[in-house]
Amino acid sequence: MSESLVLDVRNVTKRYDSLEVLKGISLGLNKGETKVVIGPSGSGKSTLLRCVNHLTKPDAGEIYLEGEAIRDANINAMRARMGFVFQDFNLFSHLNVLDNVRICQMKVKGADKKTATHRAQQELARVGLEEKASAYPAELSGGQQQRVSIARALAMDPVVLLFDEPTSALDPELTGEVVRVMQQLAAEGMTMVVVTHEMSFARQAADEIIFMENGHIVEQGSPDAMFSHSDHERTRAFLNVIADHG
Amino acid sequence: MDIYDVLLRDFPFLLKGLGVALVLLALLLVMGFILGLAICMIQLYGPRSRFIQWPLIAYERVFRGIPIIIMLFIFYYGMSGLLDITSFGAAVLALGFRSSAYQSQIFHSAFQSVPAGQMMAARAVGMSRVKAIRHILFPQAARHAIGPWTNEFSSEIKETSLAYVIGVVELTRQAHYIITSTQGNVLTVFAVVALLYFIVNRAGNSALYAFEKKLAVPGFEK
Ligand SMILES: Nc1ncnc2c1ncn2[C@@H]1O[C@H](COP(=O)(O)OP(=O)(O)O)[C@@H](O)[C@H]1O
Ligand SMILES: [Mg+2]
Repeated sequence: MSESLVLDVRNVTKRYDSLEVLKGISLGLNKGETKVVIGPSGSGKSTLLRCVNHLTKPDAGEIYLEGEAIRDANINAMRARMGFVFQDFNLFSHLNVLDNVRICQMKVKGADKKTATHRAQQELARVGLEEKASAYPAELSGGQQQRVSIARALAMDPVVLLFDEPTSALDPELTGEVVRVMQQLAAEGMTMVVVTHEMSFARQAADEIIFMENGHIVEQGSPDAMFSHSDHERTRAFLNVIADHG
Repeated sequence: MDIYDVLLRDFPFLLKGLGVALVLLALLLVMGFILGLAICMIQLYGPRSRFIQWPLIAYERVFRGIPIIIMLFIFYYGMSGLLDITSFGAAVLALGFRSSAYQSQIFHSAFQSVPAGQMMAARAVGMSRVKAIRHILFPQAARHAIGPWTNEFSSEIKETSLAYVIGVVELTRQAHYIITSTQGNVLTVFAVVALLYFIVNRAGNSALYAFEKKLAVPGFEK
């Protein structure tokens, strides 16, 4: 194991009954790296991300965060250090924007209200939503909700951020504002695993692109290598389909 | 003395009866709330074992399936051989257990109306299950539950009058005393009693409605 890896996923497998969803996935991220996971629907991308923070428990394999293995015993502390951004935002719908970003700091990290408020305001400013602090999720557009959910994750000072198709539930005209926040985070050196079909983001921000299919990593490489001269027919076929639809 | 003088003279007794009814109501609702919430929590988040889940289902069915008068008789006459129970105590238990069966169902569907993503998001950020339930699910479920709970309040205030049958001296029995002591005037006395029940019912409903409005946030308003 390399000591410098922030996130080290080793040989994770997961099956649902007869369906083998993850067939031994490994990936590692150094500090500041952004890896983009692509692949057809049903290939196991969401399952992989959920296995990383044990929202879904892997059948086998290990996840190390800054060298420390995730166990049942430390699961909450470990999750607090990994931000997770969902496809459908999952903002806490009874709380306003400020409270959404504050509550985890206060209830998980034990931050006092003043510190949590200050931090929340910082992160809301970072995603450009400080003026929406008192709005409720139902009053926001999808793009704004997703930016709040990113702020909520950031306020915990995560060492890695996991994004599961953060723009897939958005109307096309709203994806840009979310992608821009993600690009900014990548540029600022956040360590991120991003499942997405936003090829412009992958091209511009990824240090590595990972192509998954049927629970396997088929191919991985730099955006340049993957987009311009992939050796794999499956990867090329997938990228063509994405290009046609995107 | 005509009936109005009697009513005026005996009005304090009616109020006393009303007081007993209200205490009975408060106790049965609190008991139903605590037990009902506990049952709902075990059903939703407790061990899946049949030895735990089946008895809870049976409990709910039994207490919702038996007429409350029979339940009152069982708790009063049936249990007085085993323990020294007052008619008031028996009424609290019978009505409280039954209310818990109804309230557990109210809470059950309220918690189930909270989308699964809420629990997932809370867990993903490092909340324990207990914290997630307390800080995220409960406040949302409460907003779903308060409407049906208001109905439960309304039916229970009416059900307290059934404690009459085991001799609890609540409002309906006080009314009956007045009627027997003055021979007749049933209609007038019960009209006054009906009005008292109605006022309490409306007051409770208004208070709960105000509370519901206070809790309302965009996305949860009625
Ligand atoms: N909880 C579950 N129970 C059963 N099957 C599941 C569950 N979650 C995912 N799957 C299946 O696992 C496969 C991979 O799903 P998923 O990880 O969501 O793929 P992706 O995110 O790449 O679209 C799919 O066939 C899906 O139906
Ligand atoms: Mg998915």
